[in-house]
Amino acid sequence: MTLLLQALINGLMTGALIAVPAIGFSAIFAVLRYPNFAIASYATIGAFVAWWANAGLGLPIVPALAIAFAVTGVVGVVAEEISLKRLRDNGALIVAIASIALNLVLENIVRFIFGNDMKGYDLPLARDLRFGELRIGPQQLQSLALAAIIMAAMFLFLRYTRFGKAMRAVADNPDLARLKGIDPARIAIVTVFLGAGLSGVGGVLIGLDTSIDPLTGYRVLLSVFAAAVLGGLGSIPGAVVGALALGVAEELALIVTPATYRTAVGFVAILIMLTFRPRGILGERAA
Amino acid sequence: MTEFLTDRRTLLGGAAALAGLAALPKFALAQGAPIRIGTLTPLTGSGGPYGPLMVKAVKAVVDEVNAAGGVLGRKVELISEDDQTNPEAGVRAARKLIDVDKVSAILGTWASSVTTAVAPLCWESKTFLCTTSGADSITLLPHQGYLVRTQPNTKLQGRKFGEFALAQGAKRVFVLSPQTPFAQSQFESMTAIVKAAGGETAMLIYDDKKPAYRSEIDEALRFKPDAIVLGGYTPDTSVILKDLFRAGFSGTKLAFGYSVNQKLLDSVPADVAEKTFILSPSPAEGSKAYERLVKLIGVASPDPYTTQIYDHINLVLMAIALAGDSSGTAVKDNIRKVSQAPGGTKIDNAIDGFKAIAAKQAVDYDGASGPCDFTEIGDISDSKFRYEQVQSGKIALVKIA
Repeated sequence: MTLLLQALINGLMTGALIAVPAIGFSAIFAVLRYPNFAIASYATIGAFVAWWANAGLGLPIVPALAIAFAVTGVVGVVAEEISLKRLRDNGALIVAIASIALNLVLENIVRFIFGNDMKGYDLPLARDLRFGELRIGPQQLQSLALAAIIMAAMFLFLRYTRFGKAMRAVADNPDLARLKGIDPARIAIVTVFLGAGLSGVGGVLIGLDTSIDPLTGYRVLLSVFAAAVLGGLGSIPGAVVGALALGVAEELALIVTPATYRTAVGFVAILIMLTFRPRGILGERAA
Repeated sequence: MTEFLTDRRTLLGGAAALAGLAALPKFALAQGAPIRIGTLTPLTGSGGPYGPLMVKAVKAVVDEVNAAGGVLGRKVELISEDDQTNPEAGVRAARKLIDVDKVSAILGTWASSVTTAVAPLCWESKTFLCTTSGADSITLLPHQGYLVRTQPNTKLQGRKFGEFALAQGAKRVFVLSPQTPFAQSQFESMTAIVKAAGGETAMLIYDDKKPAYRSEIDEALRFKPDAIVLGGYTPDTSVILKDLFRAGFSGTKLAFGYSVNQKLLDSVPADVAEKTFILSPSPAEGSKAYERLVKLIGVASPDPYTTQIYDHINLVLMAIALAGDSSGTAVKDNIRKVSQAPGGTKIDNAIDGFKAIAAKQAVDYDGASGPCDFTEIGDISDSKFRYEQVQSGKIALVKIA
């Protein structure tokens, strides 16, 4: 029982880490209709920008997160305008492939600027809190809380602001939205800014838990993609549900299968989902 | 008219040169062609911290040899490729070195997975391969002699880990390792030692691309280990050390020198790696070759891989000099004649080696990484180990034995 509960807790923690970039991935997919694999490098860039703000400038983690969000958002928009935008008319597959190339370019720019070595945030590491046999990390709780706040903010933004509503309108039906006078180009820029920024924040949260290097984002790309597919591509609450479900599934799988097969859980989840329910848990469109 | 004359002169000159070239005997033509040697080291990926210095060491030797007139009157040309600590990238780079650059030897493959993937390309093309990988399986490949390694094999390493854990009073030893070609054989030889002393061992193979290892650590702690052996590379080991710290593990931690290093210590909070023991095959500190290497590259204490690749290049160039031929087969047939000739003159660098060879003396090279004597299948027959411990955030030497 303790075993199951501990796995559940661990799963929710890792799930919450994946959820934030998965929201970014899903938002971009919902509005622009292509899977942007460059979010892996956005996560890495966010992690390094926050590291620079934290270890370099000595800022606490929340302002560092805000800076990471803003910088990564801007990088995302610039990269999009320079490279991916002009390919959008050629279909989702072309843009998806180009985003893989973009990812490589950005990852190597990070390498060029920050070097190839591992880096860690300048924060003390806390011992786990113990509740009987169960262990919970204060840092993981903090990351979980940050993730929850970010998800709530995203939800409120989409629900109650003009821009959020416009984004949802474009996601729902771009032609109708255009008829209603919504400028898809502006919406696209804001969406990419948010999506890239959130990926950057996700990178920071992952970095807080581990260490960062130029491959930080790349290592979680599959999990993020799996979470988004699982939850329903393009659905933002779906990305959250998918990420938590994937996190829990991966940890529970450890009880019955060797730890080496952890990544396989993500693949199997994608496979099962695409076979039986292509729209995902919460997705509305059959993609 | 003048212009025509110039043209004609050039033409005549060119024709004469061509005729002259054609008239030269074949060996004279070859004399101009450089001897090409490739390095295939990790410049990026998990091994990224080591590759650049390794290449620097080889380049320093090559520059020195070229300044002294080269080998067999030919310049040595160095071509360096990055294996990205990734077998697939390693194979691509090795193909380029073999097919395009036509190198005589490839030096310095580091990760066992890369070496295992690259080795068949080498022996099939009769290119000599020198490696710093430790997996036992590597020298068991049907390499027909086209491979030597300077890293002690895993059986030897596993035995040393087991003996050291026992010496620390550990009876229950748990091994946490990613999937590597050496995890299993290392664990087996460790287990043999620990079981013989009445202890118990267990192992967990994890996926090294995950952001957290909390559940893996839970499983390890359920074994109630006295000592945990960390078998991973630097990025995953830093995460595991953090998770062990969070979980409050207070037993003995043993790790490899290639994963717990200054770079790791710089990237984790101070307490996390404290008291971790670090085991690594030891370079021959204080030996003449070691001192020379230090001076040559200007690094106070070069890591084991740098000392090893320094020995690779010296050995390969001496083998070429002895053979009078730069082919991979010539290197294969002569490498043991320069590394361990019985009663040979003790040599610690290639240039002295060339002189001894020219004087028809037998050569016994003792390098910066150790004696460099190879067994039939290409393993080194002897090596010292270095035991260190993280103390107050610094790596402190415990002993070399």
